[in-house]
Amino acid sequence: MTVATSPAGLDNRIVVAGVPRSWRDLPAPALPSPGAVLTAGAADALAVARQHATDGTELLLAGPTRVDATMRDELRAAGFAVTVLVDGVPRTVPPATGRAAEAGRLWLLTSGSTGRPKRVGHTLDSLTTVRAAQPQRTWLCPYAPGSYAWWQVVTLSLTQPGQHLVVVDPDELDDWPALAAAHRVDAVSGTPTFWRRTLHRDPEALARVPLRQLTLGGEPVDQTVLDRLRALFPAARISWIYASSEVGASIVVHDGRAGFPVDWLDRAVPGRPTLSLRDGELVVASPHHGVGHDGPVRTGDRAQIVEGRVMITGRLDSDEINVGGSKVSAGLVRDVLTAHPQVAWARVTGRRAPVLGRMVVAEVVPATAPGDAGQPDGASLLDEGALVRWCAERLPEYAVPRRIRLLTEIPVKETLKSDV
Amino acid sequence: MNELSRAQIRDLMAQVVRNQGRVLPDDDSADLREIGFRSLDFSELALRVEDETGEELNFDAPGLRRIATVGDVLDFLAELQRQ
Repeated sequence: MTVATSPAGLDNRIVVAGVPRSWRDLPAPALPSPGAVLTAGAADALAVARQHATDGTELLLAGPTRVDATMRDELRAAGFAVTVLVDGVPRTVPPATGRAAEAGRLWLLTSGSTGRPKRVGHTLDSLTTVRAAQPQRTWLCPYAPGSYAWWQVVTLSLTQPGQHLVVVDPDELDDWPALAAAHRVDAVSGTPTFWRRTLHRDPEALARVPLRQLTLGGEPVDQTVLDRLRALFPAARISWIYASSEVGASIVVHDGRAGFPVDWLDRAVPGRPTLSLRDGELVVASPHHGVGHDGPVRTGDRAQIVEGRVMITGRLDSDEINVGGSKVSAGLVRDVLTAHPQVAWARVTGRRAPVLGRMVVAEVVPATAPGDAGQPDGASLLDEGALVRWCAERLPEYAVPRRIRLLTEIPVKETLKSDV
Repeated sequence: MNELSRAQIRDLMAQVVRNQGRVLPDDDSADLREIGFRSLDFSELALRVEDETGEELNFDAPGLRRIATVGDVLDFLAELQRQ
């Protein structure tokens, strides 16, 4: 196992709460190893990451809301000291059972979308998926501390000189474009929900950020959100990434299109993930996997081949809706809705219904009219009937959402995802 | 329970048909096949009735019957609310 002791990016600039400094300037809180550190503070989380990188401690880092009392007890039973870190001040509860630390081990919690979050073992090395020299960039990190996506951005800055970092706290998230423009952020990684929300709230402020790299991940990516970002940033590289705690970053697509080419399936290239479809499920064998996830891993994500592209449409257990015996992909219906020029966001689900068993229903946030930031204009321009007819022109009859509720704001979770 | 009148159910039925760019005839004897009102539309109408009343309709209660006209739909759903 490789344990970094002097990460190459320690002199990179990091901006926390608007204050520039470098990784070296961060404090070094007294933290036990093995340790689970719970913190919501951006500076605290970066300090913990830096310490792990330089000292090789065994670490699990997470936001305090992700770890309930039961899980804290489980962690202590598994030999972790549990520390709540607030503004550099640690409050530590010792482990119930002591054990030696596993040097360099980094634990991530899964997103918990299929139940309780699980621990997945990594190292900084297995999390580092970008190894080639990169053009100098200043990245925005909008993710919650300790998530896979957060570690991806953080390891990039820790391990590569010239990869600077601007951290946005959750309570600043709605206004991130102003912060990003002020600090000359030119690369941003976010979920499709994060991007749709930003496009919905204030596209003019977004256009003022001098972006050269836009990355999407963590949720299914549809063509509409890619096209809307391309319209604002015609010269930027727009990438989407499929990654998870279990299999690491496994698919990276730069061609500006949703899905990935079908000829990437079942292609064995040394050092690269192998992608397959089994019964409509994406299966990944990845060199970037977490401990215990080597070999082919069933991802639980549904994928379909559409016009030569493999489209990842959503979770298997929630994407398929059976309408009177006909199978509907909620993800593909969502893509049709979000392709409507006056739709900023949509969620599609199945609802119990007489005669047919289930019907397709949807929630939709209307797009904001230009120059009318923050004020949905859906009441005057968009109604249920218009959306039903839009879908009826593009989908089989049984797949058309029949009850469509208009919302004013895109719902978003701590993970920056919206599908609940 | 907030029971809907037959006229209120007719308004909801008109909404279902209008969303598809069509018009519900005034005549209760209009044939459902002729106006293109099918099982998906019927299920949607039932959901709208449930949303308005806040109560789930119990489709197991009434016996099977032939539903061929607009009036049949209105009678059936009006009766179903009382089950």
